[in-house]
Amino acid sequence: MRQARAWALRRKDALIEQMPLIALVVLGGVISLLTDRFLTPLNLGNVLVQASVIAVVAMGMTFVILAGGFDLSVGSVVALSGCAAAAAMMQAGVVAGVAAGIAIGALVGAINGFVVTTLRVNPFIATLGTMVLVRGAVFLFSDSQQIPIDGTLPQAFLDFGVGRFLGIHWLVWVPVWLLIVLSWVLAKTSYGRAVYATGGSREAAYLSGIRVDRITASTYIWSGALAGVAGVMLASRLQSGQPTSGEFYELTAIAAVVLGGAALHGGEGKIYKTIIGVFIMVVLGNGLNLLNVDSHWQRVAIGLVIIAAAAADQLRHRR
Amino acid sequence: MTPVLAAENVSKRFLTIQALDRVSLSVHAGQVHAVVGENGAGKSTLIKLYCGIHRPDSGRILLEGREARFQSPADAFAAGIAVITQELHVVPALSVAENVMLGHLPRRAGIVDWRRTRALAREALARLHLSCNLDAPAGSLGFAERQSVAIARALSRSARALILDEPTAALEAREVQSLFGVIDRLKTQGVAVLYVSHRLEEVGRIADRCTVMRDGRVVAEFARGAFGVRDLVMHMTGRSLDLEHPESDRTPGETLLCDERDERLGVRERGIVGLAGLLGSGTTQLLRRVFGAEPGARLRLRGRSLAPLHPSEAIRAGIGMVPNERTLGLVLSHSVRDNIVLPNLGRFGAHWRMDERAIDRVVGELIETLDIRPRDPGVPVRALSGGNQQKVVLAKWLAGRVSVLLLDEPTQGIDVAAKTQLHRLIRQFAARGNGVLFASSELHEMLSLADGVIAMRDNAITARIDRGGGLTEAAVRDAMHGQS
Repeated sequence: MRQARAWALRRKDALIEQMPLIALVVLGGVISLLTDRFLTPLNLGNVLVQASVIAVVAMGMTFVILAGGFDLSVGSVVALSGCAAAAAMMQAGVVAGVAAGIAIGALVGAINGFVVTTLRVNPFIATLGTMVLVRGAVFLFSDSQQIPIDGTLPQAFLDFGVGRFLGIHWLVWVPVWLLIVLSWVLAKTSYGRAVYATGGSREAAYLSGIRVDRITASTYIWSGALAGVAGVMLASRLQSGQPTSGEFYELTAIAAVVLGGAALHGGEGKIYKTIIGVFIMVVLGNGLNLLNVDSHWQRVAIGLVIIAAAAADQLRHRR
Repeated sequence: MTPVLAAENVSKRFLTIQALDRVSLSVHAGQVHAVVGENGAGKSTLIKLYCGIHRPDSGRILLEGREARFQSPADAFAAGIAVITQELHVVPALSVAENVMLGHLPRRAGIVDWRRTRALAREALARLHLSCNLDAPAGSLGFAERQSVAIARALSRSARALILDEPTAALEAREVQSLFGVIDRLKTQGVAVLYVSHRLEEVGRIADRCTVMRDGRVVAEFARGAFGVRDLVMHMTGRSLDLEHPESDRTPGETLLCDERDERLGVRERGIVGLAGLLGSGTTQLLRRVFGAEPGARLRLRGRSLAPLHPSEAIRAGIGMVPNERTLGLVLSHSVRDNIVLPNLGRFGAHWRMDERAIDRVVGELIETLDIRPRDPGVPVRALSGGNQQKVVLAKWLAGRVSVLLLDEPTQGIDVAAKTQLHRLIRQFAARGNGVLFASSELHEMLSLADGVIAMRDNAITARIDRGGGLTEAAVRDAMHGQS
């Protein structure tokens, strides 16, 4: 009887596995029926570029949520990294600028990790704190102006924001490459197994010899560094560092992770599914735009989707 | 006489599984009716039908002769059927009095009447001959007392039928005795008690009637005095099972692990040492210390000193631990395979990439040798029965190169057949030249396995008694209570 139940559970799981993809296909189908402006090369290219920045943020968020945490600071980090990269670039060139942008993101992540693991602050509150703190720091650092105020960023960097490789925007190649590498890290390395175990049951992982505090802290560093990458990407697209950029990215990223079927309490989820979740969010926004839905109504719709995703998470994990 | 609570030919099917097949079972006022069966026999499903979590596909649930159609446990509770489960629904932060009256606090003009709350709570507790501090937070109580609070709550709502699901799983012998006292008082007050337990000796002591279930059916029903443990096991498993414990033929060798400061805490090669102590005597803490999950251990393992400050250090030295709760030993949402790999990430992932082929081979072998069912490494652990889950915890350590196993209540809450299997595995592990240190609240079990017993009281070792040095149940009990 146990055996039969186990099998039934697996079959059900297999169907639930594919729900995000089914939802995305249905969403795309409905939108393309309602407007013929959706399935055009130009629009789909736009969707890809829009998705690419948020996808990088969401991949970092996936690490944190898999390990049982939460990171609200990523939106602010996107702005901070964009401004820091732009400023450093004006002084010391493209490579130094990019490195500075990513490094400062990783630094904020390390601070989050320290506060959560060593000071034992609830991740929601800890990263709410850094979210506000970092946003304030960006405005102070940039004097509330875009960076650079006058002059332009190096041409190579601007080319990256608009150029293409094999017919696809350079910006899109970043998450594609990250998707491959990070999926491998999570699925195939012992570090990846430790991340899943820490989120699945912190105590069981600890009693299996996993250094759970180090693992948890490392996921915040991933999240911060990847938000840094996203900040640099956004700066190259906006051709400047914008202190107001990246607002609500944390919410979109969290929603994408949950829409991708990851468990909010940790231990279950996949990077590629997060990407599916990102596309659900971006396609929904894009579709509503094409259908000329009022932007305030768009927010209402996206809010509903987030609540629905969280409710689905609850239903899925109710036993 | 009409039974208080009855099931009449109830059947229940989940997907492909016939969980209950035309089961009839009735409990009379003032009677204790025990239900026994292996995991998956349908006991839990039956309880869920009685208390309104599920509804039968066919057949009826009767409360005092009238058909009951409960839509939820709240309905059943309001009608007088209370379930006391292992996860006690007591709110730790609230006072004992408030917990007893939870859900129907007496009110006056919309404001809680605390005087009456206390009076009613005291009355309910007095009916069970219990007196505890009404103002203490329930979180400060021990497990047994919380259980009493939950029972008192049911009484304060004039429950007519009480369903006790594995009530003694977490209790010490002395607490079991006081629970039986409480049950006796319930009987004299005409409450019908349905008693579900894995502990067959207890069933013989407490039950007026006993029903044995197997594969969703009632296979036998006995009246008091008409059955022994052997009969129950035979009907539960469908075959006779050798309950006798063979005398161990392992001759302990060199000292494997010992405490630098107290030589009584020592395990030899091929040795199995029991750790006996009442709840709160510090057996769990001692095991956790040896495992590095709590600081302070100063050990010697094969002559080398070891003071682990993190479980990973103990594991690297060759020590494994099976914790007292399976949620501490397993990531329930993850697969059997992932759980077995978890403490061995270093071994299988030495070169960055996990050696998936080696993992498949080792996991496959372990599933086979430990008889883990289903034989499927990909199935999430939460879908396994308690006994199989515990085998997975054991497999985690057998997959590595562990030479000392620490076991904390390894057979708690698992059925008889799985228990015998686990005992055999523990003996086999020791026979290969390894050492075992295990804590158990069942002295009978401990004496059948161990060559030596360490008794603990108030976080300190009080005695070490070895086989050949007067190892008897009475001697251990005396040492546990500090009368050596």
